[in-house]
Amino acid sequence: MTQTDLHQLDATAHRAALTQRRRDAAVRVEPRGRRQYTARERVDMFVDAGSFVEITPLRTADGRGTGVLTGWGMVEGRPVVVIAHDAAVASGAIGAVFANAVTKAQRLAIDRGFPIVYVNDSGGARVPDGIFALHGCGEVFALNVAAQRRVPQISVILGPCAGAAAYSPALTDWTIMVKGHGHMFLTGPDIVKAATGEDASADDIGGSRLHTEKSGVAHLEAEDEESALAAARQILSFLPSHVGAAPAITEPEPADPTAVSQLPFVVPERASVVFDMHRVLDGVLDAGPRLELMPGHARSVLTVLGRLEGRPVGIVANQPDARGGILDSLASVKAARFVEFCGRFGLPVLTFVDVPGFLPGTVEEGRGVITHGAKLLKAYIEAPTPVLTVVVRKAYGGAYIAMGAKSLGADFQWAWSNAEIAVMGPGGAVTLLNRRELAAADDPIALRDELAATYREEVARPYLAAEAGIVDDVILPEETRGRLSDALEMLTAGTAR
Amino acid sequence: MIEARADIVANVWKIVVREGDPVGAGDPVAVLETMKMEIPVIAPSGGYVSRILVNEGQIVQEGDVVAEIDAATIG
Repeated sequence: MTQTDLHQLDATAHRAALTQRRRDAAVRVEPRGRRQYTARERVDMFVDAGSFVEITPLRTADGRGTGVLTGWGMVEGRPVVVIAHDAAVASGAIGAVFANAVTKAQRLAIDRGFPIVYVNDSGGARVPDGIFALHGCGEVFALNVAAQRRVPQISVILGPCAGAAAYSPALTDWTIMVKGHGHMFLTGPDIVKAATGEDASADDIGGSRLHTEKSGVAHLEAEDEESALAAARQILSFLPSHVGAAPAITEPEPADPTAVSQLPFVVPERASVVFDMHRVLDGVLDAGPRLELMPGHARSVLTVLGRLEGRPVGIVANQPDARGGILDSLASVKAARFVEFCGRFGLPVLTFVDVPGFLPGTVEEGRGVITHGAKLLKAYIEAPTPVLTVVVRKAYGGAYIAMGAKSLGADFQWAWSNAEIAVMGPGGAVTLLNRRELAAADDPIALRDELAATYREEVARPYLAAEAGIVDDVILPEETRGRLSDALEMLTAGTAR
Repeated sequence: MIEARADIVANVWKIVVREGDPVGAGDPVAVLETMKMEIPVIAPSGGYVSRILVNEGQIVQEGDVVAEIDAATIG
């Protein structure tokens, strides 16, 4: 029965037929292949129970579903627009009507200021729709970019996302992939084989491990669909509904008392020994939920969403436990993207510094570390939100500047009492400054160590920087939380609460 | 066969295991020195060290295999 035929029915039959049609549209077809859930079940799992409302449930393309479910639901009581690919219809391929349904939902979210969550499972552009499909994909991308300036966008990858379907997530803020099922690639293994001869599995060219560890295309890996959708909810819990909206403030929680008592002892005595920066964060931030983004990629820098006195904050920190906490091309891009994100959505940026420097050498220069490092400088310089920086231990050279230094616009920069801030490490500095003396010495290594120790105490200690006003104060580890929260309270006074 | 790899360009400062030694997941097999930092090379999972492929004082590149670990020989 076509849509118009419904009008031939009497009122009661009409009512029953419409109800049935809506129900059919909602249920759609059974999940296909390895899929455990239908698009509708995924959406219901994501939003608060029973809150999903579909937009244009009766819309069709070529006599069947559009291939995409669009609507809104509540997440912790706040409206979120949801766009879920329906892999049961033409493998979720993006046709002209599909794309139009997506852009309508995007437009609603942008105009009214609601986050957008994309539940992706699509084979890419729908070939029979030809250039109309491509045109539609481009329109989706354009609204992805328009939405960047307005609302948070999160992509959850629950199936293959090929070609055009992979680019839309790349234009959103955070992408979560399900291990084993979620794939993102320009073309699948068959086309790769035909084009270049390369033999590669779907996991090799677009699996969650590749993208969350090496490429950085995706930002979180989830074990299953439930935890992927839960992660999307968790990201939203730290964010305002739109740019300029009230921050998602919760009840303040003290930091974990054990971690607080450990804080003065976390940093090892010897500057060359690594430690886990998470232990510093544990002793400073609220004990409640925290979310590390991109935990597997460029691990020498941490990017974390957390709270201080109930207020959501973004944390950037060197991680000495991974590659010594160095900055390199990938770490710079990771941190820059995060700082820029925090700035857009009103999150203050707290930076914890223990950085031996930018990793030098042919590999990094070849990767364009100068260009990538400059992105981090720019992100801090442009950050519109409060920037508070704590030098926990080492801060040398260009990396000192790049980690949210005062000169880049940090509102406050403090150093722990044992911090070392200098243009380069003591060993390198004395080698350069005392070249002739060292060349003439009987035991140059002993002399170098002696000079380095003096340099460390006389030049690198933070009091010089504090006396010059470059560091605002030298503080004890246990004073950190109080300094940060006092400053945040002042800096955010009068903004939306 | 599991490989413990260097994750950064560095000088091999100390090798802390011998071939045949048992190691647990997360145990260091060597310590690298780069940027004045001591950076451990970690066994990704437990087993017996079957081969050490580097010498102290040698330069390793990011991704180089430092030691091979045989997981099959553990219970």
